[in-house]
Amino acid sequence: MAASRGRRLLWHGRCWFSQTESGVPSQPPDSLYPPIVASATAKSKAAKRRRLEHFNQRVHAAASIEEKLRLYGQLQRPKYMLYPQTFALNADRWYRSFTKTVFVPGLPPRAAAAAAKAPGAVAPEAAETPAGAAGVAPEAAKAPEPGTAAPEAAKSPEVAAAAAPYLDMGELRSLACDALLQESFYQNKKRPFLYRDQDHTPGPFLTQLVSTLAAFLCGRNPLLAASSLDLKPEVNYYWHHGEEVVVHGHRKGRVDPVRFQIDDNPHLQIRVPKQLPEIVPLESDLGDVPVIDHKPSKLPLFKKQYENKVYIGSKVADPCCYGHTQFHLIPDKLKRERFVRANLEDQIEVVYRANGIASLFAWTAAQAMYQGFWNEADVTRPFVSQAVVTDGKYFAFFCYQLNTLALTVETIQNNPRKNICWGTDSKPLYDVVEDGSVKGFNDEVLLQLVRFLLNRPKEL
Amino acid sequence: LFQGVRQAQWLTKTKLVEGLPPPVLSIIDNPAHQLEDHEEGVKRAISHARLWDTTEVAPRREHYCPVLFEDLIHLCRLMSVKYPSLTKRMLARNYKISATWERESILLQVRGLNGILMNSMAPIPPVASKEEILATEEHVLETFYPISPTIDLQEVNVYKELNDTGKSSFRDGYPYSHPHTLFFLESANIRPNRFRPEQLRAKMLMFAFGNALAKAKVLYGNDPKVLEQPIVVQSVGTDGQLFQFMVFQLNTTDLVSSDGIKNLVWIDSDQNLYEKAQCIPEVKKRVVMKPAGIYGFQPDTFKKFLALYLHGTV
Repeated sequence: MAASRGRRLLWHGRCWFSQTESGVPSQPPDSLYPPIVASATAKSKAAKRRRLEHFNQRVHAAASIEEKLRLYGQLQRPKYMLYPQTFALNADRWYRSFTKTVFVPGLPPRAAAAAAKAPGAVAPEAAETPAGAAGVAPEAAKAPEPGTAAPEAAKSPEVAAAAAPYLDMGELRSLACDALLQESFYQNKKRPFLYRDQDHTPGPFLTQLVSTLAAFLCGRNPLLAASSLDLKPEVNYYWHHGEEVVVHGHRKGRVDPVRFQIDDNPHLQIRVPKQLPEIVPLESDLGDVPVIDHKPSKLPLFKKQYENKVYIGSKVADPCCYGHTQFHLIPDKLKRERFVRANLEDQIEVVYRANGIASLFAWTAAQAMYQGFWNEADVTRPFVSQAVVTDGKYFAFFCYQLNTLALTVETIQNNPRKNICWGTDSKPLYDVVEDGSVKGFNDEVLLQLVRFLLNRPKEL
Repeated sequence: LFQGVRQAQWLTKTKLVEGLPPPVLSIIDNPAHQLEDHEEGVKRAISHARLWDTTEVAPRREHYCPVLFEDLIHLCRLMSVKYPSLTKRMLARNYKISATWERESILLQVRGLNGILMNSMAPIPPVASKEEILATEEHVLETFYPISPTIDLQEVNVYKELNDTGKSSFRDGYPYSHPHTLFFLESANIRPNRFRPEQLRAKMLMFAFGNALAKAKVLYGNDPKVLEQPIVVQSVGTDGQLFQFMVFQLNTTDLVSSDGIKNLVWIDSDQNLYEKAQCIPEVKKRVVMKPAGIYGFQPDTFKKFLALYLHGTV
């Protein structure tokens, strides 16, 4: 007995023949015999519990984050692969149930600090989108002309350099139009390869747009100045949720957690060294998580066994370990025209939503794991990230707050917290590009993009 | 190109000057530009590209070379806070160039996908003074007899002399019409697939010349003549660790003869950004000899990179 326990428990606690025992007066006298605990190797539920507890202790006591991640994903078993960009019908409902996410349409109202900068003059914009801007109101510091200047002030910076910084919409619009025109009109490229339309024009346009906007706005947002821009990074996350019985194989009949893995490749992502502020408090309840009675494989989802990766875009040693914004490009397979032809117009928005929810959950959860949290050690502060999903013309904006990582069967029972995702429908940025000019440019979408990029913690 | 830069010089009728030209050096030396503040950022960029950017232990050159380039350009672009005219730049990837010229009765052409081009709305002012340009008249282009200058060049039957960046790459009315800097990334994994530094410099020279020539033909027409307003195109080539900087000034399009005014090129070669990037700690006999990290960081290389980027707007 002593030998089997000795593998796990420290020796000096068991040597009741030694003299050190006498120096511990609080021990009751019946500790002459070691405590009777369940076996660790027997085929019993108690033994399984003990093994699980031992595993949890090992992960808790891991020396470094890399070691913790290594132990967390050490055991490889078949798992469901979740694809954020999927053609499955109503995938966003399924993804919400796998990740315990509540979806709130529309974007969250911005923090009070931002609202204080634009006291009352953001009326036209506030009517259109619920999010007030950080510094967009050019007339914020100019009391005399709040009402009349509001409609035009967004377009032309006639207001002399005020103390409060204002955003030059004309400049931003010209940047965006230039990027668009260069990629689609001016640069002579070969014809796009078959089914690779997205790499030909919208991909480079998005890269250009984001890099020039980020450079333009980094004076406004010091967080961007310390940020790291990744092109086509990899984001992975592995988690357990729910239980199932193993169907076939040598482990048939055993009860196993359902394992999921997301392997995502956003087009572009911005990582920052400081975390974005929380949008709502940790314990808020803004809706319901859908419950789906079917097996995940009915979505359709397929199982595979391979390395369990948790990765945000760079390794743990990188100082930019928090996420700011991701940009996703919808591939050719999921174009709007294809859905329209198949009479599935309502699924177009589902594609954007599923992409936003799954990618952001993976990213924020991986960020949380990089800080040492996991499903037994739940997050103590919410992790917030943003994403923009686009197909080159239509843009949809998402905002995600991770409140809990505890999704396994044992930890989800007493866990009232839910993750929250805010999102918009997809809106076009422009109507058409012809003859060297952009027709029907939509300032609202650009403004929302700029607001996303300007998001920063309150201290900055 | 077999003889490297020497051959390229003969083909483009260029005189070589070692080091970077005075205007660029003055940008580097000017403390007002605060080039030193970026050291931290550059170190982070190198570590990110070489150490942290992959789920494997060490990233491959195909992966880290473009990532390092993107990070450095991102750092340079952040300077547009101080210099708003920097936003008037546009990067064009997968850019195609073709330019033709005659050189002592041999018709030469430069064509192809040449990396990444950065365009700007305003041209770079000429870096050499008028006296220097006139002084090149006496300079004799070195030939390497008996090796023909066209050795290692592919002989092709060209039926259409395509000539300008205007028609073949960008349409008319493009606002960012002046080529500013060309970037070449030697990112093949295997060493034989990469260009040696000498050949890389020659390639940079040829393409910079091609771009400048095409722009000259657009601006001044097809007749060969001496340009009153020389055209300057810069070029940066790297393999992820070693950087080659080049500034090319096109003084004349009269390239048939070997006499007269020559073009000028300033080359600063083989600048190391860092000595070694250790991905896993080097351990001998259970003792860590060298922990993981970047060794031998040289800030001057990035200062030159940034100075070339800022050249023309400050």
